[in-house]
Amino acid sequence: MRLVSDEEHSAARAFLVSGMVWMAIGTTFGLIGGIALAAPDAIRNVPWLVFGRVRPVHVNLVAVGFVPMVLIGAGLYLVPTLLRTRLYGERLAHVGIWLYNAALAIGAIELARGHTQAREYAELTWIPDVLIVGAFVALIISFGGTLARRQEPLLYVSVWYFGAALAVTAALYPLGNAMWNPSTGAVTGVLDAILLWFYGHNVVGLLLTPLALCAAYYLVPAITRAPLYSHTLSMIGFWSLLGFYTHIGGHHLLQAPIPVWLKVISVIDSVMMMIPVLVVLVNLWLTARGRFGDLFASVPGKFVLLGTINYLIVGVQGPLQSLPAVQRVTHFTQWTIAHAHLAVLGFTGMIALGALYYALPRVTGKLVWSERLANTQFWFVFLSVTAFMLVLTGAGLAQGHAWINGETVYRTVPMLSPYMMVRALFGVMLVLAAYLGLYNVLMTIYRGKPVAVEAAEGSVRKPATA
Amino acid sequence: MRMTPALVLVGSVVIFTASVFAVIVVPWQTMAHQPSAAWRELSADELAGRKLYIANGCTYCHSQFVRTQDWDLGMERISQPGDYLGLSPHLLGTTRTGPDLAQQGGEHPDDWHVAHLVSPRFTRPQSLMPRFEFLGQENIRLLIAYLQGMGGRDADQRVQRQQEWKARAVAAYNAGADENVKWLHDNVPEGWRPLPTPYPATEPSLQRGAKVYQDFCIGCHGPVGDGQGPAAPYLNPPPLNFTTLRRNLVDGKYIGGILYYQIMNGITGTAMPYFKHELESAKIWDVSNFIAANFIGFDDSNTEPAGIDASYEPLRTQKPASGRWRDHGKGDAP
Ligand code: HEC
Ligand code: HEC
Ligand code: HEM
Ligand code: HEM
Repeated sequence: MRLVSDEEHSAARAFLVSGMVWMAIGTTFGLIGGIALAAPDAIRNVPWLVFGRVRPVHVNLVAVGFVPMVLIGAGLYLVPTLLRTRLYGERLAHVGIWLYNAALAIGAIELARGHTQAREYAELTWIPDVLIVGAFVALIISFGGTLARRQEPLLYVSVWYFGAALAVTAALYPLGNAMWNPSTGAVTGVLDAILLWFYGHNVVGLLLTPLALCAAYYLVPAITRAPLYSHTLSMIGFWSLLGFYTHIGGHHLLQAPIPVWLKVISVIDSVMMMIPVLVVLVNLWLTARGRFGDLFASVPGKFVLLGTINYLIVGVQGPLQSLPAVQRVTHFTQWTIAHAHLAVLGFTGMIALGALYYALPRVTGKLVWSERLANTQFWFVFLSVTAFMLVLTGAGLAQGHAWINGETVYRTVPMLSPYMMVRALFGVMLVLAAYLGLYNVLMTIYRGKPVAVEAAEGSVRKPATA
Repeated sequence: MRMTPALVLVGSVVIFTASVFAVIVVPWQTMAHQPSAAWRELSADELAGRKLYIANGCTYCHSQFVRTQDWDLGMERISQPGDYLGLSPHLLGTTRTGPDLAQQGGEHPDDWHVAHLVSPRFTRPQSLMPRFEFLGQENIRLLIAYLQGMGGRDADQRVQRQQEWKARAVAAYNAGADENVKWLHDNVPEGWRPLPTPYPATEPSLQRGAKVYQDFCIGCHGPVGDGQGPAAPYLNPPPLNFTTLRRNLVDGKYIGGILYYQIMNGITGTAMPYFKHELESAKIWDVSNFIAANFIGFDDSNTEPAGIDASYEPLRTQKPASGRWRDHGKGDAP
């Protein structure tokens, strides 16, 4: 294997494998954090395993590593296929993957050593930041070149989302990480909080969400062999996502001392976020109407179907928890952690895994090593993310209501313990799922049976109106 | 509408730029970047401590702002934008697995923090917070400097109060055990001292008290009330040894009111925290009964002077022949 291969699909493959490796490592750190909250003295006085350091390692490896990398990997296969050409600059995309992996490896070690910018989702320090921006620039060039030499004049929705995600992130990342201040990676005072949450919410809204929708818009029609329901809805969904998501970061700071007008804007447009969510889901589900069975019958389809269902829950929960009356109870509690797992894992993560199992045979030319293992992974992920959601939401409501009743935080600490135990238990299941997935991917690459993909499954049917 | 690459790119960039302008540039230009009355510059030690706070992810469990609704519930001062002037990065926080720290300065004396950071369960038996012993003495000192500065000028006043009383408490402790207790009790307001515990030290009351003791007090005062809990080596003055209190009774009585007052109010300058926010009065009386009956070996509960009998407790006249309220309801078997 060469470091910077020019073989077709080799970059996509590298992204998929890397993403799965980070999922395994990242969830392991999540579990260490989960154990710390259930049994704080289980691991003691190991500096790099202390909760406050493990947590950012976990969050960055899963939310900046696993999910976007797997989705980019899938995109590097889907987008050229949709454009009926080869990926431009396969080598360049490989440079991208090396930069990305180096950023995460250096970043994780730095975080474990306590070198952090301490801003949620922007913890990585300056050097990893530069590497990540480099990776995105490489990917943008590769994507741009692919567009330029496309054989297909019309751009399908997936391509819009993929392009927008890359372009916006390349601008957002340096801005949100205040990269002009290498020593802190931050601006000062309350403005820093405003900048951070502008960034933080756009990482999930303009990187993870569009990448996941890129995959979903491809997989749903492809697996159900049905044309996309509506081009108009696709457009409304796309532009309203960009229009509303970009400026609602203030809903993370509703109770903090920031200007009131910022809060008002963020609440109103958080509620409006129902539009992009529902429009996309209506479009996807009407595409699959009458054929949900087909979706559920295939492993990628299953993941994507559940991913879209979780998107619905997230898209109702999100606007709800943006209302000041609701945040009065839920803010600062485990409720938000439940939302975060349901969104990042249940929605984008599950679609990423669906896209992985769809793209894997196509980029390796091998059948997925074990369908049964993949199916097991699906059920593990589905069960544990559902359990996370229920347990953490319960814990959050208990905390929030107790505080409103005047209980001090210390009095509510013991209350958390049963919830934290159950979460840690399901965390084990989730970690297992991550390793099963990684194993399956590696076995597919090294031991999988060759397959003629086009013959076996046919290519995507072109959406009727695109 | 036909979606061309140019449209997607230009559209995304225009929307993104407009948003940056509206929600970043406009606040930056229009917010008043003025210090609040409590704001002050951080010292070199405090800044070094802040770096440790950042490096060890304290921010993932602790917020640093008091909300309007926290104020409704008894926190002292709602945070203002001017409190955070010049601080980078911000550490407002999004999760309160632990309590808010915006006004932490002066809440506890330094020795409490040392014991707490070495192992939070020493001072707070049910805490979830990780141990930070690995930081080493010097770093713990810097971290505490930062914690004591939280709240700016308001905190400085509280810290000064802690230091003044610390000097007196240490002097009293060094003067000997009985002198120390005399000093402690002299500082309890006159009206509280002759007050007996109004509620009898029945078995249920003692059991409830035991639970409170385990959840809040045991790390300092120890399982047998001798002040030898695991936190003791870090504290000066060390936690009180309750078992000696018997010889400090006045006229062979007076203890309930003193215990109640000390637990409610804490003893500023010593590691003894105030519990008025965490324990309702019934719980304070119960834990007072528990300490009195188990460690001091004397309780004045439900004795004169007393007011109207409580509706649900045994009457004063029903004291068991054994003289111990805990035998109440067990029948007066010989
Ligand atoms: C896993 C979450 C967690 C982390 C990480 C954490 N804490 Fe805590 N902290 C708590 C909890 C829970 C409490 C309440 C119980 C207690 O007092 O120990 C607490 C209490 C405190 C208190 C006492 C507040 C009071 O008024 O009684 C201080 C001070 C404190 N923490 C400082 C820190 C510092 C400094 C760090 C980082 C070095 C830190 N904490 C990291 C969870 C955490
Ligand atoms: C962090 C350690 C710590 C904790 C926790 C703690 N104490 Fe104390 N306590 C002390 C210290 C230190 C003193 C006073 C020492 C001195 O000045 O000699 C003290 C003094 C007291 C006194 C004063 C007795 C007198 O006669 O004046 C009472 C009563 C008391 N504690 C009860 C409690 C109870 C009840 C709890 C639990 C709800 C508790 N303490 C928790 C450290 C602690
Ligand atoms: C790929 C799967 C996962 C994803 C995408 C994911 C994502 C996240 C995200 C985004 C956060 C930040 C939450 C916030 O700040 O609101 C988080 C926090 C956390 N996650 Fe995960 N997670 C995953 C798996 C796990 C697993 C397996 C565990 C094991 C128990 C776990 C335990 C935790 C813990 C303990 C926190 C910190 C919560 C707190 O601060 O109270 N996660 N995770
Ligand atoms: C659809 C509209 C959505 C709305 C209106 C919304 C709203 C919110 C709000 C108000 C919070 C803050 C809660 C609090 O701190 O009290 C939050 C947190 C969060 N959201 Fe969403 N959300 C939406 C969708 C999503 C999606 C799609 C993702 C991920 C792909 C996501 C990921 C997160 C994460 C990770 C956090 C935790 C942030 C933290 O660390 O505090 N959200 N969301």
